[in-house]
Amino acid sequence: MGDGKRVYLTKEQILTDLRDGMADAVDLGDIPELSGDELDKLMDIITMPSRMVGVEAGMEVPVTHDIGTIRLDGDQGNSGVGIPSSRLVGCMVHERAFGADTMELGHIDYSFKPVKPVIAQEMQTMEVCQQNMIIPLLYGAMPNMGLYYTPDGPFENPGDLMKAFKIQEAQESMEHAAKHLTRDIVWIMQRMMASGADGVNFDTVGAAGDGDMYASLHAIEALRKQYPDMYIEAGMAGELMLGLHGEMAYDGTVLAGLWPHQQAPLVAKAGANIFGPVVNTNTSKSFAWNLGRAVTFVKAAVKASPIPCHVNMGMGVGGIPMLETPTIDAVSRASKAMVEIANVDGI
Amino acid sequence: MSKEETFKLLSDAVVSCKKDAVLAAVEKAKSEGIEPAEIIEKGLASGMNSVGIMFERGKLFLPHVMMAAGAMEAGVKLLEADMPKDAAKKKLAVIVNGTVEGDVHDIGKSIVSTMLQSSGFEVHDLGRDVPLQDFIDKVKETGASMVGMSALMTTTLPGQREVIEMLKEQGLRDKVKVMVGGAPATQTWADKIGADCYAENASEAVARAKELLL
Ligand code: B12
Repeated sequence: MGDGKRVYLTKEQILTDLRDGMADAVDLGDIPELSGDELDKLMDIITMPSRMVGVEAGMEVPVTHDIGTIRLDGDQGNSGVGIPSSRLVGCMVHERAFGADTMELGHIDYSFKPVKPVIAQEMQTMEVCQQNMIIPLLYGAMPNMGLYYTPDGPFENPGDLMKAFKIQEAQESMEHAAKHLTRDIVWIMQRMMASGADGVNFDTVGAAGDGDMYASLHAIEALRKQYPDMYIEAGMAGELMLGLHGEMAYDGTVLAGLWPHQQAPLVAKAGANIFGPVVNTNTSKSFAWNLGRAVTFVKAAVKASPIPCHVNMGMGVGGIPMLETPTIDAVSRASKAMVEIANVDGI
Repeated sequence: MSKEETFKLLSDAVVSCKKDAVLAAVEKAKSEGIEPAEIIEKGLASGMNSVGIMFERGKLFLPHVMMAAGAMEAGVKLLEADMPKDAAKKKLAVIVNGTVEGDVHDIGKSIVSTMLQSSGFEVHDLGRDVPLQDFIDKVKETGASMVGMSALMTTTLPGQREVIEMLKEQGLRDKVKVMVGGAPATQTWADKIGADCYAENASEAVARAKELLL
């Protein structure tokens, strides 16, 4: 199940769930169904007898990690394993032992805003990591526009304003916050690029709604202009761009209500090299339902995207159950399906 | 323009979330001689219903719903001026109406108040998010013979039952009729909590009130 509970389903039940999950994506996103062959293949992948599965030879794709630098060290109830180690060790272990194809350096707070006061430390760590590593090392963080609102930031909280029926004020607050967020991201990345970063990973774009995506797209655009060869990866926070502002637009497209296949062209237009589509897991539905739905959405996104797509796969996204440490049977099956059926370029 | 087309125009205007569009559509409907009640129920309210569906499907978001709500309120205000005031006539009966505590949805409740008023009732509208005791206090103050309660959320619906219990405790239950409404309320719910009546929409509310009070 989407919450990690182990259940036993008949082949017929699995097929019904696959179809229902697919139908949900088709209905919401107004996108094409999977073909009969593709459903058969999904069925095969789910029912493979081995505990762990892998992609067919020749279909291997690059794999990258977000926040991986602190996955070893981290031990505050996140998905870290609490092995005391520096971020350099974290990066190098991912490169040399885990086989990551690209890696990112991230800060423990993992949002752009709190990096400002410790920028010198981030720059130095980036430099040391670059001196010791070969694979592309990006700087990664979440745009996390919520940090710009009271009580954490200077602008009045749109949630409070909306409660008081002040829609216009709420929208203005989001517009101000977006400007500051774009400015901060660009400022931080200018410094990280000066320290040898190969690029940037925008993690969870849109977490604070359409304003968050708006700010991120403008930051991507500004960075691309200044660094034509920089590597820019933009991964989303969720499948649907929530319209907290409702009217913000990029390149003439209103951001509120966009699904992955509609987000991809905008991210490309802004100047990113990689788009990271997300599909959320429904915890009360089966793995088959979630995977059928996720593959349908991601396949449409890959098709619509002018740039490579590296799908977000992890706890609670990409069809994978919502567990601290998702089970390998589900993770490997979902990943195989994303590569072989949705045709993703990376994970 | 046929009546159906005008209703569609009104409904589309609410969905557009634009106040100007709603006001223009209402003016047009008025100029075609359509009754205010019909303009509201078959036009504006049907548009608000579509907004709700689009909201659930992720096509529209909270700010849109709030803008649509504001636009609809402005449209209803424009119509209120045309509704019979009956100021000179003796009032049929006194009704206290409001949206229960914890719930800010007041569009439907306000329409009910307006329609009751234009049908000749004296209505004391307490507004939205009304502390439950206020319903009782207002009944005492005005000597109302009916209290109406709106709730638009499953989480606030129990407020209707509580007011009925409070009326009993304070010895007023026999003196007032209780009418409940709002999307999650049903006849079964009304029966369960011992309300005197339930109405699905504003014109039904007027009919029920007349049945019970006149
Ligand atoms: C507009 C709206 C809002 C507006 C309200 C603006 C306002 N001034 O009223 C805003 C944006 C503020 C809002 C806020 C919220 N909303 Co809202 N909202 C709606 C929406 C889309 C339409 C309601 C409406 O006005 N309908 C049009 C009117 C004309 O119809 P009506 O209210 O049903 O009234 C008619 C009848 O019910 C009846 N009637 C009504 N009252 C009475 C009273 C009596 C006595 C009688 C006899 C009859 C009667 O007659 C009326 C006329 O025909 C509904 C979805 C929907 N489709 O209903 C959600 C909905 C009610 N909201 C919902 C929620 C959850 C919220 C929020 C918590 C925010 C959120 N997370 O979405 C907050 C609530 C905050 C709070 N504490 O109350 C949920 C409730 C879910 C539930 N568990 O019950 C709904 C169902 C949407 C959803 N599916 O999520 N909302």
